[in-house]
Amino acid sequence: MANQAKKSLFKRTFNGRNAAISIPYLWLLLLFLFPFVIVLKISLAQPIIAIPPYTPLFSWGDSLWPKIQAGLDSYLFLFSDSLYIKAYLSSIKIATISTVLTLIIGYAIAYSIARAPTRWRGILLMLVILPFWTSFLIRVYAWIGILKTEGLLNLALMTLGIIEKPLIIMNTDLAVYIGIVYSYLPFMILPLYANLEKMDMNLLEAAADLGCRPFKTFWTVTIPLSLPGILAGCFLVFIPVIGEFVIPDLLGGTKTLMIGKVLWGEFFYNRDWPVASAVAIIMLLLLVVPIILYQKSQEKAIS
Amino acid sequence: MTETNTTEPWLDSSQKPYIQIENVTKKFGDFTAIDNLSLDIYKNEFFSLLGPSGCGKTTLLRMLAGFERFTEGRVLVDGEDISEIPPHLRPINMMFQSYALFPHLTVEKNIAFGLKQDKLPDNIINQRVEEMLQLVELTDFAKRKPGQLSGGQSQRVALARSLAKQPKLLLLDEPLGALDKRLREQTQFELMDIQEKLEVTFVIVTHDQEEAMTVSSRIGVMDSGKLIQVATPTQIYEAPINREVADFIGDVNIFKGIYKGQDAKGTQLLSEDSKSIIYATQKVDVPVGNRIWFALRPEKLEITRKLPEVDCNILKGKIEDIGYGGSFSTYHVKLENGRQLTAIRANRERTAEHHLTWGDEVYLHWSPDSAVVLLS
Repeated sequence: MANQAKKSLFKRTFNGRNAAISIPYLWLLLLFLFPFVIVLKISLAQPIIAIPPYTPLFSWGDSLWPKIQAGLDSYLFLFSDSLYIKAYLSSIKIATISTVLTLIIGYAIAYSIARAPTRWRGILLMLVILPFWTSFLIRVYAWIGILKTEGLLNLALMTLGIIEKPLIIMNTDLAVYIGIVYSYLPFMILPLYANLEKMDMNLLEAAADLGCRPFKTFWTVTIPLSLPGILAGCFLVFIPVIGEFVIPDLLGGTKTLMIGKVLWGEFFYNRDWPVASAVAIIMLLLLVVPIILYQKSQEKAIS
Repeated sequence: MTETNTTEPWLDSSQKPYIQIENVTKKFGDFTAIDNLSLDIYKNEFFSLLGPSGCGKTTLLRMLAGFERFTEGRVLVDGEDISEIPPHLRPINMMFQSYALFPHLTVEKNIAFGLKQDKLPDNIINQRVEEMLQLVELTDFAKRKPGQLSGGQSQRVALARSLAKQPKLLLLDEPLGALDKRLREQTQFELMDIQEKLEVTFVIVTHDQEEAMTVSSRIGVMDSGKLIQVATPTQIYEAPINREVADFIGDVNIFKGIYKGQDAKGTQLLSEDSKSIIYATQKVDVPVGNRIWFALRPEKLEITRKLPEVDCNILKGKIEDIGYGGSFSTYHVKLENGRQLTAIRANRERTAEHHLTWGDEVYLHWSPDSAVVLLS
C-alpha cells in the first residue's frame, strides 16, 4: 500500500505535464537567474589585481563562520561619476528615437505587406526575414562600406551631382540610428504584420460607410486596433537597443555614448569587473520597467 | 385607388422611384457579377434581394454603398446620381453581415461614430445615441464593448449604428444570418417595426426565402447577376414567372407535359407522370403541342385515402415518407411511375384517428385554380 502511494506520488510529481512545464523554468533558472546571481555577486565585490579580478564574497579565515565581503561601493561609484548617468540617459534617448523611427518605417512596410495581394505576402515577408541569413556583424560592417566618406552612398550622391563634398555620416549618431533602424526593423515589422494582417477589412468599410475619410479612418480605427502590435514591436526594439554594443561601437563616434559601450570598456579596458557588473545590474533594472509594462499590455490584450 | 398607390407605389406610374438603378453592370475580370441590371425602389420600401450565394446580390448592395464601382450604368438616389460619390459621402448606410462593430469602442461610441464624422454638437450626438439605444433596447449596455455582447445584442448595436445618421437608404447584408431561428423570427418583426417607425428605405440582402417573404414589401429574385422576377412576396410565391423562381421560393411540385388546349375546366396539360390530362385555371397563349409546366405548392395538394369526389386532377400514389412538423406534416407520395410528390397537411386534430401512415395507398388532388402555369 505504502509503496503504491509512493509510486503515485512519484507519478504525480514527474508526469509528462509537469516535465513539460518545468522546461521553461529550468531554462530560466540556468540561463537567466544563475548568471544574474553571479553578476550580482561580482557587483558587490572589490576590484583587485588577481584572477579573477575581484575579491571573493566569502572568505574562510580562522573563524568558524565565513567572512562576508560585500559592499555597494561599485554602485555608489556609478552615481559619483556623471559619465554613467549620461550614458544611461543617452542610451534611453537613442533607444527611444530609434524605436520611433523603426515604428514609422516598420508600420508603413507592415501595412503595405498586409494589404498586398495574398500570393505576394509570403514573398514580401520572406524578404523581410532574409537578412537574418547573414551574420548580424557582417551586415553592420557592410554599413561602414556604405556610409564612410569614400563609401557607396557618398559616391552615388556625388556621381549624380546631388552633393559636391562627401557627407560625414560615419562615426556620428546618425550612423548609429541608421544601423539600429536597419538591424531592428524585422522585429518591428513581424508583430505589426501579424496584427494588421488579421484586421477585419469590414471595419474600414464600416468607418467609410459612416462618413469617415480614409485618412481619419487610419487614425481612429486602424491605429487603435493595431495597438497590441505597435506595443509588441516597440518593446522588441527598445529593450535590446538600450544595451546595444556592436552598432555604436562600429558605426558610432567617440562621442556616441551608450551604456553597452561603457559596460564593455569597464570589463576589458579598466578590468573593473565589480563596476561593470553594477552597470549591468542597473541596466537590467532599467529594462525591467518596460518589460513589466509590456507584460501588462499583453495581459490586457488577452483579456 | 389612392390607397393602393401609397402601399404599392410601383403600380402607380405617377410615383417617382427613390432609388433608380439604371443598366448597371459589374465585371470582375472576365466574370460578370451584375449583368445590365435595372431596378426602381420606392421611398419607405422594404426591398429584399433574394438569391442563391454567388448570384450577385451582395455585389449589388456593396455597389449601392460605394465599396464597388460599377463597370457600366448609374444609380440615382432621390434624383441625384451617386455613381461617382465615394462611400463616406453617400447618404446611405450599411449594416454588415459580420456587424463590423469597432471592438475598441463602447456601444455608445460605436453608435456615435457616424454622427461624430458630421461634426454635430455633443448634446445632439448624445441625444441621438440615447434615442437609438432606446430604439434597440440596449440603454443598459451603453458602456459595454462589443466583445461583451451576445450575438443578438451585437446585431442591434449594428442596426442602431447604421440608423443613427438617419440615412436616406439603409442597406442590410444578411442582417439576421448569424442569429438562431427563434431570435431571427422575433427580430424580423422588430426590423419591420423600426423601418415603419423611422420611415427609412431598406434594401436587404438575404438567401433565406422565409425571411424575405416575412419582411419585404417587394422581393427581387436574382440569379447569375440578373433579376429574374421583382414582385410582392405573395406574387412571387403564388405566381412565379418560371420554374427557377418557383423552385427557389418554397417547395413546389412541378408537372412537365404538353399543352393540349383549353376547355371549360381550364388549360389542359398532358402530364408525363400520369399520362393523363390535368388542369389549371390560368390561361396561356402558346401553340397547342408546346411544352409547358404546372407548378403546385405542397399545401395545395389534398391527400386522402378515399377517392375524392371531383372530376379532374386526381393522382394515385403510395406514402413513402412522413415528416412530422408539429403544426403540419409533410408527406412524400410516390406515384405509379415512380415520381415523388410532396404534400403538406395541417395537423388539425391532436390525435388523428384515421391518420395516414407509411405505405398507405392515397389519392392526391387539387383544384385547377391553385396550379400555376409556367412557360419556362
